[in-house]
Amino acid sequence: MDALAASFPGSAVSRDESLAREFEQRLADCPKLAYRVALGVLHNTAEAEDVAQEAMLRAYRNFHRLRDRERFRGWLVRMAFRLALDRIRAKGRRERHEHDATRALEDNQHEGNVEDLVASREFERQVAQALDALPEKRRIVMVLAAIEGYNTAEVAKLAGLPEGTVKSRLFLARKKLAESLQCLVKNTPTG
Amino acid sequence: MSCEKYSDWMTHAAFGDLPAEREPELLAHAMECAACREALAHARAVHDCVDRGIESLVAGEPSPQFATHLRRRIAQESGPLRSPWMTWAPVTACALALAAVLAIAITHKRVHDRSSPSVASAVNPISAPPGAVPASVASPRNAERTARTRDFKRSAQTRAATTTRPEIIVPRGQLAAALHLSAAINSGRVDGSQLLAARENSEKPLDVKLIEIAPLDSLAPADAAERPE
Repeated sequence: MDALAASFPGSAVSRDESLAREFEQRLADCPKLAYRVALGVLHNTAEAEDVAQEAMLRAYRNFHRLRDRERFRGWLVRMAFRLALDRIRAKGRRERHEHDATRALEDNQHEGNVEDLVASREFERQVAQALDALPEKRRIVMVLAAIEGYNTAEVAKLAGLPEGTVKSRLFLARKKLAESLQCLVKNTPTG
Repeated sequence: MSCEKYSDWMTHAAFGDLPAEREPELLAHAMECAACREALAHARAVHDCVDRGIESLVAGEPSPQFATHLRRRIAQESGPLRSPWMTWAPVTACALALAAVLAIAITHKRVHDRSSPSVASAVNPISAPPGAVPASVASPRNAERTARTRDFKRSAQTRAATTTRPEIIVPRGQLAAALHLSAAINSGRVDGSQLLAARENSEKPLDVKLIEIAPLDSLAPADAAERPE
């Protein structure tokens, strides 16, 4: 594509068309990634779609500024994460979440197996609350690690961080989540 | 004591981060210690729940209308993707135009200044080089004169530092003459007060006195006898 653009030096139209085509190629899989990142922060499908749309539009507007096109996915992920956080701040959803979760915290210890527990709405709410309580730096690596089972190296590439940093942040995030959720898992047989 | 040691290991083991060489030791301890065995199982269950809970939070696909809606919004964007040079082109053009206007204005002003004969130079005779003796003139013959000029310069600078003197506007072409006059006044060779006094005298209005002429009738008889017949 760049070769095509380079064959018409000085032609703005061909350059723009080339960029548009290059962006078009990314429309196949990247919106899904942006959507999932936003969903991991917002826990609401409609809002996650809005944020993913906004992130893709911004990516489209600023695509020409991206020098290394290989970093597009990481760029998009960080943009979607930031937009999702901004939306949460704007709406004050965190307080609502905390209120809802606190209400159900004490009397919702599951006696069934792990499958039932994970499937329950209450558990989902508890996980969301624990995830929201994480610092932003740890939250993004936790969300990315959960998307399609990305390994540490892939998360590091997407988050634009060294692999060691991702490892330590993931460990701390998981530990914190486990501490927050272990009361729910008490007396729950595995399998 | 050993159970405390394995507590941290259990957390790492549950997350899959425990180094491979430690795993057999931990498992051996868990086989012997019922409490640690239970704790390890619980840690693994919690970890499993956490991972699956987070995965379920981020699972899902955008709706089928997502792509259509996104393409429509992209199409509604005001313009296509723009190359960086296109973004900066208008700014650069404006900057160049402004620079050209400024350059023309400055050039025009300089030309106007040079061509205008009435423009005067602001010269402070004290701070300006009196006599303006160029280096080429400072030959051995003029050594005494140069030394005097240097002394005058120093004293003039000292005076300028202590006294405030008005600037004199000297028309072009009369600068050297004015400097010579100023130097002469400052060196005492010419008395400035006398020059001013002379100027004041010359500018004084004339004192006109009326001449009284006696009438003819009042002439003395002796005068009348002298008249020719």
